[in-house]
Amino acid sequence: MTWKTEGIVLRVRNLGEADRIVTLYTRDKGKLNAVARGARRIRNRLLSPTQVFTHGRYLIFPNKGLHSLSQAEIIHSGQVLRDDLHKFAYASYVTELLDASTAEEDPVEKVFPLLAGTLSLGEQGRFGLAVRAFEIRLMRDLGYEPELYHCLSCRHPLEGQVSFTEQGGALCPECAGQFPGSMPLTNGTWELMKRLLEWEFSRLTVLHPAAKNEAELRDVMRHYLDYRLEYPLKSLDFLETLRGLTPVD
Amino acid sequence: MARYPKAMARLIEELVRLPGVGPKTAQRLAFFLINQTSAEVQSLTESIVQAKERITYCSRCFHLTEDDPCAICSDSKRNKAFICVVEEPRDVIAMERTKSFDGVYHVLHGSISPLEGIGPNDLKVKELVARIGPEVGEVVLATDPNVEGEATAMYLARILKPIGVKVTRMAHGMPVGSDLEYVDEVTLSKALEGRREL
Repeated sequence: MTWKTEGIVLRVRNLGEADRIVTLYTRDKGKLNAVARGARRIRNRLLSPTQVFTHGRYLIFPNKGLHSLSQAEIIHSGQVLRDDLHKFAYASYVTELLDASTAEEDPVEKVFPLLAGTLSLGEQGRFGLAVRAFEIRLMRDLGYEPELYHCLSCRHPLEGQVSFTEQGGALCPECAGQFPGSMPLTNGTWELMKRLLEWEFSRLTVLHPAAKNEAELRDVMRHYLDYRLEYPLKSLDFLETLRGLTPVD
Repeated sequence: MARYPKAMARLIEELVRLPGVGPKTAQRLAFFLINQTSAEVQSLTESIVQAKERITYCSRCFHLTEDDPCAICSDSKRNKAFICVVEEPRDVIAMERTKSFDGVYHVLHGSISPLEGIGPNDLKVKELVARIGPEVGEVVLATDPNVEGEATAMYLARILKPIGVKVTRMAHGMPVGSDLEYVDEVTLSKALEGRREL
C-alpha cells in the first residue's frame, strides 16, 4: 500500500552519506517523517522536491518506523522564500512552530491550507501579518483559541480596557490583577486579533495594521505560544539577529 | 551468554562512537583490527594521535593546518585580494582540486540554520569581516547551494557589501554530463537566469 499525498516540507535532516529525513505536513495525513533515499545526490530526482518550503505531491511507502519517500513532484517550489533572507527566516519560524505544536500523523483539516496560505502571503512580502495570523489561527485549529469576547476569569462580556494573559485570553480590568504577567491590550491590537481569527484568510491582505499594534501583538502572541509550547523555538534567535540588521516586523 | 573479552568490548565501544558506525560495523572493524599485525595497528594509532596533536586551525582562514598560518595563506603566489568563503575545510580541498582558483580561503565552519539554532555568531563571520581591508578586492561566496548555504550567502552579502567590497556568488547551473529533461525546474530556472553569451 502506498500513500499519495500533497504536502509541504517543514524540515530536512541529513541521514548517512546521501539520504534525508524529510518532515512533511500533508493535507490528509498531517505531519509525517519519511526517508528520501539518495536525496542529497546531485542527480537524484528527490533532491529538489525535498527542499524546505516545497509544496508538492509525494508518494510514500508507509513503514512501522520511518516511512519511505519514493516519488515526488513539485507543485510550488517555494524558491521565493529561500531567495530572501527575511522571508527565509519567517518561513523557518512558521514551519518550526507547526512542527513543534503538532503530533505525527494526527491530521487537522484546516492546518494544511493555513500553512499554504501563510507561506503564499509571505511570498507576497506580507510575512509580518501572515505570521501573526498563522500563530493565532493555528492555536485555534489545535484547540487553544484565545478567548477575546468574554473575560477569561469572570466570563463577563469585554469592553473598553482589556488585558491579555498567556493562560488563554483577554481579561477585564477587575480580574487582570489576579493574573500576574497579564499584559494590557490596546483596542487596536484587540480588534486586529479578532480580525486575524475571523476573517477569510484571503481577505487579510487588505489589513494594514499600525506598527505599534503589530509589535504589541507580536509580544502578546510570543507569551501565549511560549506558555503552550514545551521548548523555545530556535528560529526566533535568527529572526532577532535579522531585526538587528534592518528594521523588520 | 558468551561475551567479548574486556579489551575487545572496549574497542567496540570506542568504535561505535564514530559517526555512521553502528554496533555491527563496530564489531566488524574491531575484528579487522585485531587481525592486523602489531606494526599496522601501531601505525594507525600513531596517525590518530599525531593528527589530533598536530592539526590546528589557521588563524587567518580557519582551514586545517599543521603550521600557522597555513600553506595557502603563507604562499606568496596566492592572490590575497581574492577571498573564497566556504563552509567546511573539505570544501577547500574540493576547490583546490579545480586548480583554477589562485586566491585565499575563509572557512566558516558551518552554515546558518535557524531550525538547528545555528546563527551567524556560531560561525567565523566576525573573523571574516575583520579580514576585509582595503587590499581585498573580491569575496566569492562558495557556500553550498542548499537552503542553509544560500541563507548564509545572503547574510554575508548583507554584512559585507556595506564595507565596500565586491561580493560574488558561485554560479548555479546544470551538472556537467546531465540530460536537460531530467534537471529539476528550480535548477533549470537558476541556470537560465545565469546564462551567458557564447
